[in-house]
Amino acid sequence: MEMSFNGYFEVGIPRADTFELLSDPEKFLPVLPMYHSMQKKESDPNASIVKVKVGIGKIHGIATTEMFLQDNEPPQRASYVGKGNVMGGAYNLIVGFELAEAANGGTRIDWQGTTQIHGKILSIAGGGLRGIAEKEIIKVIDSLQDALVSKEHFESIGIAAQERPISEGFFASIVNFLRGLFGGDASADSAPVESPAEEEVPTTVTRGPLRKDAPRSVSTVVGKSIQIDADGNGGGKWTGQHLRRKEDERLLRGLGRFVDDYQGSDMLHMGFARSPYAHARILNIDVSAADALAGVVCIMTGPQVAEQTTPFMQIGAEPGALIQDHGIALDKVRYPGEPVVMIVAESARLVEDAIELVVVDYEPLPALVKSEDALKDEVIIHDEMGTNRSFHGVWDHGNVEQAFADAAHVVDIGRLHFHRFSSTPIETSGAVVTWSPRGEIDVISNNGLPGVTAQMLAAFLNVSTEQLRMKSEDVGGNFGTKTVNHTYIGLTAVASHAAGGRTVKWIETRSDNLASFHGGERTFLDTRVAMDAEGVITGVSSRHIDDAGGFLRYEPLGCSIWSQVYPGTYGVRNLHIDFSQVLSNKAPCTPNRGYSRMQHIWFMERVIDICAHEMGIPADEMRRRNYIKPEQMPYTTPNGNIYDSGDYPMMLAKAKELIDWDGWKQKQAEARASGRLIGIGIGSTVDSGTNNFGQVLYVNPDQVFSGNNEAARLKVGLDGSVVLTLGSAPQGQGHETTAAMVAADDLGIGPDMITVRTGFDSSWNTYAGLSGTIASQFAVTGLSAVHGAALKLKEQLFRLAAFALGASEEELEMSVGEMGPQVSVIGDAERAINFWMLSNLANSNISQVPEHLRDITLNALHVYKPPFEPVDVEKKIGNQTLTYAPQIHIAVVEVDRATCQPKILDYASVDDCGVAVNPKIVAGQVHGATCHGIGAALQEAFQFDDGGNLITGSFTDYSPITALNMPEIKCAATETPSPFSFNGAKGCGEGGGGPLHCVSAAVQDALYEEGIIVTESHNSPSILFELMAEPNAAQVVTNKSMAT
Amino acid sequence: MPESVVVDVNVNGVAYQREIEPRLLLVEFLREEIGLTGTHIGCDTSYCGACTVTLNGRLVKSCTCLAVQADGGEVCTVEGLEQNGELHPLQEAFSEHHGLQCGYCTPGMLMASKSLLEENPSPSREEIRKGIAGNLCRCTGYVNIIKAIDAAAVKMQGV
Repeated sequence: MEMSFNGYFEVGIPRADTFELLSDPEKFLPVLPMYHSMQKKESDPNASIVKVKVGIGKIHGIATTEMFLQDNEPPQRASYVGKGNVMGGAYNLIVGFELAEAANGGTRIDWQGTTQIHGKILSIAGGGLRGIAEKEIIKVIDSLQDALVSKEHFESIGIAAQERPISEGFFASIVNFLRGLFGGDASADSAPVESPAEEEVPTTVTRGPLRKDAPRSVSTVVGKSIQIDADGNGGGKWTGQHLRRKEDERLLRGLGRFVDDYQGSDMLHMGFARSPYAHARILNIDVSAADALAGVVCIMTGPQVAEQTTPFMQIGAEPGALIQDHGIALDKVRYPGEPVVMIVAESARLVEDAIELVVVDYEPLPALVKSEDALKDEVIIHDEMGTNRSFHGVWDHGNVEQAFADAAHVVDIGRLHFHRFSSTPIETSGAVVTWSPRGEIDVISNNGLPGVTAQMLAAFLNVSTEQLRMKSEDVGGNFGTKTVNHTYIGLTAVASHAAGGRTVKWIETRSDNLASFHGGERTFLDTRVAMDAEGVITGVSSRHIDDAGGFLRYEPLGCSIWSQVYPGTYGVRNLHIDFSQVLSNKAPCTPNRGYSRMQHIWFMERVIDICAHEMGIPADEMRRRNYIKPEQMPYTTPNGNIYDSGDYPMMLAKAKELIDWDGWKQKQAEARASGRLIGIGIGSTVDSGTNNFGQVLYVNPDQVFSGNNEAARLKVGLDGSVVLTLGSAPQGQGHETTAAMVAADDLGIGPDMITVRTGFDSSWNTYAGLSGTIASQFAVTGLSAVHGAALKLKEQLFRLAAFALGASEEELEMSVGEMGPQVSVIGDAERAINFWMLSNLANSNISQVPEHLRDITLNALHVYKPPFEPVDVEKKIGNQTLTYAPQIHIAVVEVDRATCQPKILDYASVDDCGVAVNPKIVAGQVHGATCHGIGAALQEAFQFDDGGNLITGSFTDYSPITALNMPEIKCAATETPSPFSFNGAKGCGEGGGGPLHCVSAAVQDALYEEGIIVTESHNSPSILFELMAEPNAAQVVTNKSMAT
Repeated sequence: MPESVVVDVNVNGVAYQREIEPRLLLVEFLREEIGLTGTHIGCDTSYCGACTVTLNGRLVKSCTCLAVQADGGEVCTVEGLEQNGELHPLQEAFSEHHGLQCGYCTPGMLMASKSLLEENPSPSREEIRKGIAGNLCRCTGYVNIIKAIDAAAVKMQGV
């Protein structure tokens, strides 16, 4: 950092005398108020060693700087060059004077000063250094001006200063150095700097213009600090402000570091020959031609990998736990795109060349594409399982039988189907792994759940978790899909080992990505709904089949996750869901934004809308009658989930207002009259956040995960800088910014004074077993960890500061002083000690503090553990997540009669994530989740032919939503703070799939009079074309008089 | 085909000469040969636009352009947007309006936006949508990107 200052003033002393005073270090330097002592350097008559006093509170001392008289041109010019080193940094400074004769016989002094500061020391005062320096330089010039009243006066000050006794001790800090250099008070506690006796100012002396009027410019080059938006309104707190993100500074410049950005001249590259079949037996693999290619380093088949590894841990119980998953096919392939041969070569291009030379003989087997077919077990995908059903469980709560017996209306709904899609982050999966011969395994990847992944990898590789260094920096989106790229990371490690410990990089191509990671697919059968005479739903019974694809990579956890939102947003107390999961010959499913709950809520929303249409009750009124009431919050669902807060009817009213519900109703009627098909649909969701991993017991009672945890470390560095380390593995959610905001509020400083480390690194020793960015949890888990660490750090700072300032802890407060973050005595600004000084006492100046304070490290780790209780596995009752953030979406959709193309005409969403830590970031999450949902509802789908071939295997075919397809959306928020998080925040990143629900509802509303019920979550023109050709309303049957 | 060819490419005002495989893509040249990793790869069908740069002033997807096609040409990448320590107004606007989240599509998005504003200094929102239709973003829903481009256009017009 460089800072320059300049200005001028006039004095009454003649130029020659002025020059003499300013050009003689022995006369000039002692005049500076911080002067301590000086000696001439023997080797250089122009050099002086100057000691200046620095210090604050009980800590004080002397800093040394070497000053040279560099440019000495009597009587016009004199300049000094100084340099010195301080802990963690170095500085140079140049002070120059140009002297000109003034009209009255005095001298005009044009001065200029430049300071360069290097090193870590810069972070001490964050963005505040400029202000400090500017203020201090003014003091110096003031003191010079005052001293230059007369030659005698000037010299007397210098003599007095030189005669002062020298105090002992040495203590250096650049901030204090600056303070000393520029003329601040050295130490409240040390011997006061004696002012020379007051002298009468000779009246004959003409003073120059007041310094304040003198032109002075200050230019600095410093890192930009976070700026507060004009509409920021935080009531003195950072939380709630619309802050620009810390992350942006590097990302906007193309300076982010993503996994593919790691490069090295000796780095190897890895890729796979993949299966062209959905289901086939491998008869023979011939890699001889590939092996012969120059630049190919090694080639491994599945059996060769299996010899060195243990199958990946299965989360679920048997029979799924019997699956032998090595991440690469052994004897047969089970989905199109499954890795079959692993190739390591000198470049990624050579890998592609070698893949083309691999010859594999396959014997095709019947492919299981439809979930119901898989359930028949006529063809078995994993022989060791003996069945394709990986999970079966029954959720039965309340008294469903009684509800149907008492019902006024019973509606039977035919097959509903939630389709496969993925949020496809623009950065594909990747890993760079180095398995050193010493046994250290360095894993750089974009995995989103490093704590659990490390446990998966260690078991697979037969190593300890502590041999693994898990690391990620910038991650190009995830949305859950990278949670389960562990098999590929494991194979990259195997490749590095096979290549003698050389670094191996694996970067997935887009086609590979689309073939490998799919969001969850679900089929809903035999649905029956009981209602009372008013259309209030009293019971739901249904059979659900979740389709996991060819392997269980995080599954069958989804078979439990959906029940976080068992009744959706509705008050129904009697539910019976028979839930199965099957394997099929499609890509393994991953968590994907809204994971497992979105599918279930879509089902509940279909139930509501179909029943509403059957009953002739408007969709909004149907919801009002069925919503959980605000006065019931916190609301315990039939399976023990505790919905923390939310006012669904109010949110619906707000969403209706936002979209002009009544206006659209009128337009809809007019359009219908002219033959146009316009529908208005509502989607009500709950985004459940902060998982209780104990729900894994629903799918495997022997599993050893429960509760949740997340870590954060906040420390004051050796140079006083504040560094925050997170256990989360962020992927674009702005963790650096929101974490800094929370810590800043706790410490009473600015977010730009806190350095937040980028990404995740297990070697920071700041993570917990369940660390990661999943399941809408950072706002609660991550920020609670930060808050906890900040409180611990603050406690340590106060204990130490109380000693240093001779005060009690109760008298202290955190603030930002001229020397950066500090602890000060309330109401006494002079009694303050900055973070650097405190860190010095804690970490470097040990014997200065008494024994009872030597436990203080100013390095505080906090692991937050949400207050979860074990779940009741038998009854399937327990609180599965900590927060439940509702969203209400409304879409107006027109379906073109000729093309069957659905088009969104208007869109509104109202979300409630409790207290928004940074509303800008929350809004961004809402926009993103909405866009994913709209894309999935209208254009994105993994589609298969009967042979199981993926026919949307490139972006061109899959067609992710672009700016052209994304409609303008109207957003609003309500704020009902969560009573369960320290800051009232709820996780909101996933969004609950609102657009899928409201678009399906709107399409149905548009087509209901055509005899059409929407039974697919995907509303492509081809699907609607088929529905228009063969209306399906008959699949819904209503019996209107069961018990009345 | 020769095993290697020599290309001369000026990138962000700096001249580079490299001996490369003829099949090397421009994006690979930028990332691997001269170490400018701000230009990203997001797909293999020229759909996503993460690799968008300008070649001789025209917008290209550098994954669909061979490095030899840039021989003798001038390439501008995201790293060249900042001038003398000052962010480009588009970069400022993207941050101000939260037009980026993970930042992976951002370099391509910025290059496309810059090109758009050069051709059409005051685009309508619909024209902005068209201007970035070749660039995917999966985080922002495009809402704030459109807002940012709009704001940058106004600001650049005002200067």
